[in-house]
Amino acid sequence: MEIKNIKLANLPAFFDQLIKSGKVVMAPVLKKSGKVFFEAVKSYDQMATDYIQTGFSAKSVVFPKVEELFSFEKNDDGIEISNNLSNIPETVVWGLRPCDSSAFNYLTEFFLRENPDTYFATRKEKTTLIAISCSKADEACFCTSVELNPGSTEGSDMLLTTMGDDVYVEVMTEKGQAAIESSASLFTSREEKSKEEYLAKLTAVFSMEQIKERIKTAYDNAEWKHESMGCFGCGACAFSCPTCTCFDIQDEGTQNKGKRLRCWDACGFGQFTKHASGHNPRHNQTERRRQRLMHKFKYSVENLGIVSCVGCGRCIRVCPAHLNIFENILSVTK
Amino acid sequence: MIGFKNAIHKLPVPCFVENAAQVEQLIFTPSCQGNLAVYLHKPEVKAAKKVGIVANIATLRSVLQLVSENQLGDIEKTVLTVNAQNELLMFDNMDALEQYVQANFPVISDEDKKLLDQVNAMTRAERWQFWTEQFSACVKCYACRAVCPMCYCSTCTVESNQPQWIKVSSETTGNLEWHTMRAMHLAGRCINCGECGRICPVGIPVHLLTAKMNQDIEAEFGAKTGFSFKSGYALNTFKPGDKEQFIK
Repeated sequence: MEIKNIKLANLPAFFDQLIKSGKVVMAPVLKKSGKVFFEAVKSYDQMATDYIQTGFSAKSVVFPKVEELFSFEKNDDGIEISNNLSNIPETVVWGLRPCDSSAFNYLTEFFLRENPDTYFATRKEKTTLIAISCSKADEACFCTSVELNPGSTEGSDMLLTTMGDDVYVEVMTEKGQAAIESSASLFTSREEKSKEEYLAKLTAVFSMEQIKERIKTAYDNAEWKHESMGCFGCGACAFSCPTCTCFDIQDEGTQNKGKRLRCWDACGFGQFTKHASGHNPRHNQTERRRQRLMHKFKYSVENLGIVSCVGCGRCIRVCPAHLNIFENILSVTK
Repeated sequence: MIGFKNAIHKLPVPCFVENAAQVEQLIFTPSCQGNLAVYLHKPEVKAAKKVGIVANIATLRSVLQLVSENQLGDIEKTVLTVNAQNELLMFDNMDALEQYVQANFPVISDEDKKLLDQVNAMTRAERWQFWTEQFSACVKCYACRAVCPMCYCSTCTVESNQPQWIKVSSETTGNLEWHTMRAMHLAGRCINCGECGRICPVGIPVHLLTAKMNQDIEAEFGAKTGFSFKSGYALNTFKPGDKEQFIK
């Protein structure tokens, strides 16, 4: 890690340099609906200035809502198969929160263990994450409960923390290093400093160690039913979640020309586990919600050694029934 | 008993009370805006046979509409609401509920009226542009369908894959098809609670589509939705006096 300093007033120049380098720069943009989403931007002033969290996470940069795996076309010589791998652009994600960048560690484990996924690997390779520490949090945020914090550098290539007129820059990786190279004159060296006073204050609502232990025996807890009754079975939580990776493979087109797509799917949908026979092993919303929470706090710990909830709070903010993942998890592990 | 309770965060959450000891959790405040009628279709609720529901005006109208569509026949229902004078009212017969709803029938909110007027004032091309742009952001999470008390089909058209009417993948044209289809299915049945628009995670004002359909149906057939439990809905009811100017 290397610590650098850049004047706050020089941040737009650094940003413009990234755009000039020909990279796609995804940054938080305030939409007409009043919500903030990541979008490709062309200038610094297009960015939202005041946001706690974006509506959706940055995962779509490496795991888009629809990924074309390949397309095919029959012609006189046979069948031509092609893919878009070589068209994936170099991308910078600017302004994601530390919880989101830590989610990239989980995504990487998930997609690249055992049988590495070429699409994810290519996108990840071409993506640089420039995260910004949180100086504010809301009632849905709970990163400190899942052992992260508003200034965590986990997963990011570079973390920016505003300290008055200065921005404290933690360059974490070679990609981070490469990002500042073309703007080297804007950066100066500085000494390591505690970020504490510039970060949002967020008290943990639970102890992760305790939850990990207690959830081992929580499967049959009667509270699952109670906690899940309000769940409508939509995909809002899964689609906004930075670590939800479930997908559905779809073929579109005709027998002569078509494509194979990988689309986001959600374990809350009634059809998610429905078998061709008609049998559905998760036949009600209680079982589906339990799966979702157990996956985050138990199964991913067992399989990959990572708690796959980063406390970003999106599922709480978007839930049409206002269900609250940390209330739910506390209730089933009492 | 289906109602609301307080939660750690600012908005009340749905609450399902199964015994007298749990009743104290129930609250009813102006922020209890969700439409709980959607839970009347939940298998666990239907299985209870005897159901109480805490209702705001949108929920009361949903109950009337659902009864008129023969959806709540085998449930014994008690509906609770609080009137403008802050009195608790309890309805277990539909005639009394209908009377209350008709006397307190809501008008469309100023905000929605403004939005609808804007959309209505657009030219066809502008309107197409507006909705295309809106639906390009849709991710097909189906939260709009999930919160809708009138979306109660056991299998939705989008879940049919033989034949597949609408693509599973989310892209602008398919998203438009999905929302158009949903709006058509809700024409004259939507009770304008606005939940689908309120909860859309990407902020699409999807409720305007069905609100517009309702405006048209009211103009053509004089039918209001969630107004009576006896009238059925305009598009599957024939009345000799129905206007027929649209048949040319």
